[in-house]
Amino acid sequence: MTPVVLAAEAVRYRYPQQTSLALEDVNLSLRRGEILGLLGPNGSGKSTLINLLNGLREPQAGSVRRIGNPHLRVAWVPQEYAYYPQLTCRENLHFFASLLAVSPQERATRMDQVVKACVLDEFLDKQLRHCSGGVRRRVNIAIGLLQAPDVLLLDEPTVGVDPQTRVFLLEQVRQLARQGAAIVYATHYMDEAMAVCNDILILDHGRVVASGDLATLLKGTAGAGPFANLEALFMHYTRRLLRD
Amino acid sequence: MGALNQAIVIFGKEWRLLLRNPHGLAVLFLMPGIFLLVMSFALKNTLTSEDIALPQTGWVIEEQSPLAANWSNDWIERKGGVRFASRKSLLDALRARQVQAGVIVQDHWVDAKGTPRIERIELWLSNRIQPASAGRLRAEVTASMLQLQLKGRVAAAGPFGSMLLDDASRADVFAALGPMTIRYLYEIESGRKMTAVQQSVPAWLIFGMYFVVIPLTGVLIQERNDGTLARLSTFGVSPFAILGGKLLAFMALNWVQLLLMLWVGRWLVPLLGGDALYLDLQFTWFLLMVFATSASAVGLALLIGAYTRSFDHAAALGGGANVVLAALAGIMVPRPLMPAAMQTVSEWSPMGWALDGMQAVFLGAPDASQIVPKAALLLLFACACLLIAWHPIRHLDRFA
Repeated sequence: MTPVVLAAEAVRYRYPQQTSLALEDVNLSLRRGEILGLLGPNGSGKSTLINLLNGLREPQAGSVRRIGNPHLRVAWVPQEYAYYPQLTCRENLHFFASLLAVSPQERATRMDQVVKACVLDEFLDKQLRHCSGGVRRRVNIAIGLLQAPDVLLLDEPTVGVDPQTRVFLLEQVRQLARQGAAIVYATHYMDEAMAVCNDILILDHGRVVASGDLATLLKGTAGAGPFANLEALFMHYTRRLLRD
Repeated sequence: MGALNQAIVIFGKEWRLLLRNPHGLAVLFLMPGIFLLVMSFALKNTLTSEDIALPQTGWVIEEQSPLAANWSNDWIERKGGVRFASRKSLLDALRARQVQAGVIVQDHWVDAKGTPRIERIELWLSNRIQPASAGRLRAEVTASMLQLQLKGRVAAAGPFGSMLLDDASRADVFAALGPMTIRYLYEIESGRKMTAVQQSVPAWLIFGMYFVVIPLTGVLIQERNDGTLARLSTFGVSPFAILGGKLLAFMALNWVQLLLMLWVGRWLVPLLGGDALYLDLQFTWFLLMVFATSASAVGLALLIGAYTRSFDHAAALGGGANVVLAALAGIMVPRPLMPAAMQTVSEWSPMGWALDGMQAVFLGAPDASQIVPKAALLLLFACACLLIAWHPIRHLDRFA
């Protein structure tokens, strides 16, 4: 079993001016080469947990620890297109690469690598506002990959893309895991989670309602299961009530 | 990577974004340039010490005395004008723009002692008459009435009184020999004539500089709403670098605006028949005022961008604030046309401080006492804006 690189222990978080907890006593551990599927209805706390893992927020109780390497590179790919659509693909990549504390040679190498990995060659000089949703998603991921991450946090990376792009992105995620990256994959698409994730963590109302490796979860426990698929498992733990 | 290097990278990104924003460029360059052109010509006859022509004037004589007939005949012969039979025909002529003003000599204009009374004169003015032209007509009617009254007294004084009459014309008492010389302080100090363009360039430059609020808030709000600010934070970019990069980029932009406005004033306005802007300014004070004005403009823009949630909100607040500040400061309506109370009010706004300092540079030979206090106020204002803007921007995590 590969070593744990990032762990959240008994994490608790409440947003200012909110009465209820966004996250309550959440535990998770991420290993190199592992893809953890982070599932949950809207408002369940998935994005909050990702923001704690990437260091944008600090837990009010519990801890998020980088294990073995204090300089662990954690990259975050947000759900939104978090770049400059008025700039070209090349200009965006160059801008974000220029912010990294690496040598110009290393910067150029990383740019070449992410352009190849995300198949962006033919769009390099095109303004992103004129590109398709699929290209924009690939650029969003490419910017995250510029950091050469040990841990990659993907927040719904396939929203609004065509099936071809989705298949491509899922294959890229598997490839990154094979190369040793630990990946958190937040999604609403159960088939995607089934396709790429080894482990699953289901959040609801800020609490972990199910977690473990996918095969074990599908077999069920004494009180519930077995489940025909991940969707059945998900609906069992989160119920059918519509969320805000 | 250090915050300074990050700020430089952000500086470059801001410039690329600006060059891809034609609407922002139009607001920053085209709008103030056009304002400058238009106002340089529109105020050509107002902001000048040159003689303003008397308006074309119509006369209605309701007074039956010979004195009234003689006075109006003499005026029309010497200064031009048209006689009308009634108030209605004068009104029609004013409406038809055949005359710009009317003088009505009311019944009982001459009192029981035979003295004409100014309070029995009515002056009618076209809605479009230039204030300076109306002012000249009023002054000349008053002076002419005074002459009439003096001549009445001279006549009453007997044979020796006629010695007071001017020898040449026998018409005026103590006649003026010619027009007086009028000189603005700027003309006394520089030896050049006052022009509208010399006053308009600093005013519209300031106005244009403050409009950095439109492109700056556009980018900042996009970055915040798209999560780009939060993403920058995960790249190790400090809030200081973000604020510093934007500050540097938009202050540099203000200098480009300055060059454009100087070009319009120096070359384009004269090319179209207006007066040329004189550019032999005191360089040190000029640089200090541009720097301080630019800092205040970008500081205010960052403040608005930091606290607004949508571009519509920012454009309405930023654009609206600029127009109100410009109206208060005497940019929309030049200060010489304001009453004294409004002129005092205009000295207490950031654009007013900028206008005071800039006009001192453009309209004369300023010393430290005219520039340093205004520049200090502008820099204090800029610091206050940046401090308040710092509060939300330092929490980049909240934009995730």
